[in-house]
Amino acid sequence: MVMNIDMAKKIIKAAISRAQEIDTLCSVAIVDERGFLVALHRMDHAPIPTVDIARDKAWTAATFRMPSSDIGKFGDPATPGFGFNTQNWNDRLTTIPGGLPIRDGDDIIGGIGVSGGTPEEDVTVCEAALAAVLKPC
Amino acid sequence: MKEITLEMAEKMLQAAERWAELSGYPSSIAVVDKAGAVIAVHRMDGAGPMTTDISINKAFSAAYSGAPTLMLARMIDPRMMGPTPGSGGLGLLTQAKLRLMFIPGGNPIRDEEMKVIGGIGCSGVPDGVGEISDTTVVQAGYAAIYEEYD
Repeated sequence: MVMNIDMAKKIIKAAISRAQEIDTLCSVAIVDERGFLVALHRMDHAPIPTVDIARDKAWTAATFRMPSSDIGKFGDPATPGFGFNTQNWNDRLTTIPGGLPIRDGDDIIGGIGVSGGTPEEDVTVCEAALAAVLKPC
Repeated sequence: MKEITLEMAEKMLQAAERWAELSGYPSSIAVVDKAGAVIAVHRMDGAGPMTTDISINKAFSAAYSGAPTLMLARMIDPRMMGPTPGSGGLGLLTQAKLRLMFIPGGNPIRDEEMKVIGGIGCSGVPDGVGEISDTTVVQAGYAAIYEEYD
């Protein structure tokens, strides 16, 4: 299974309906397994910077193959890999929670990034969207 | 119609994607609001990764300048340099933090009073190969928000 526009639209639709339930305004970005944008929607009246933040979260989750919140652990000197923040990474790297890799079994097929609410709300929206779309597969 | 909602943007993308499919070239299509901020972007299956940013920047350029990117392309044409040095449009090249696009395929979206309320951009359909170009695709998207008023 690979990421395609139909699946991206379904995930975004599920994410936005969840965001409406918990009453937040957010942007939702879906990227493919290489981190390239497939689809991005910004809800009406969601702040403008959420567009790029959502995309950055999705990029981080898909390319590092871990939730964007886990990237922060590399900032701990006790962790192997400390110092990677000095590398010249793509400037999309972010440590803000709200980006999750999209998995099909063991394979990473993409990433989702949500920005607009508190970090907890963003993660809730991500998880709800992935659960709604990927479970039947 | 004062501003573009996500619902309207999705409707525009749907119509535009239908035309892009007709052309046989998968492409990316973006809709931005009057601030030039993205409302919705879709990259169709098979479209190259480069096309997303180009379509976003085409939509931004159109909303920002109020002119189709086709006209911006005319402004930087070396054959239209104007009567005095610098009176052509070459200075546009470095504006807007290098986000301006000068490739046809971005159109401003206007309301009934002709005020710019956003922009739409498409990238991926080559110009001059078939009957359909990027500009055709964005025009189809633009027309879609007015269809209900006919």
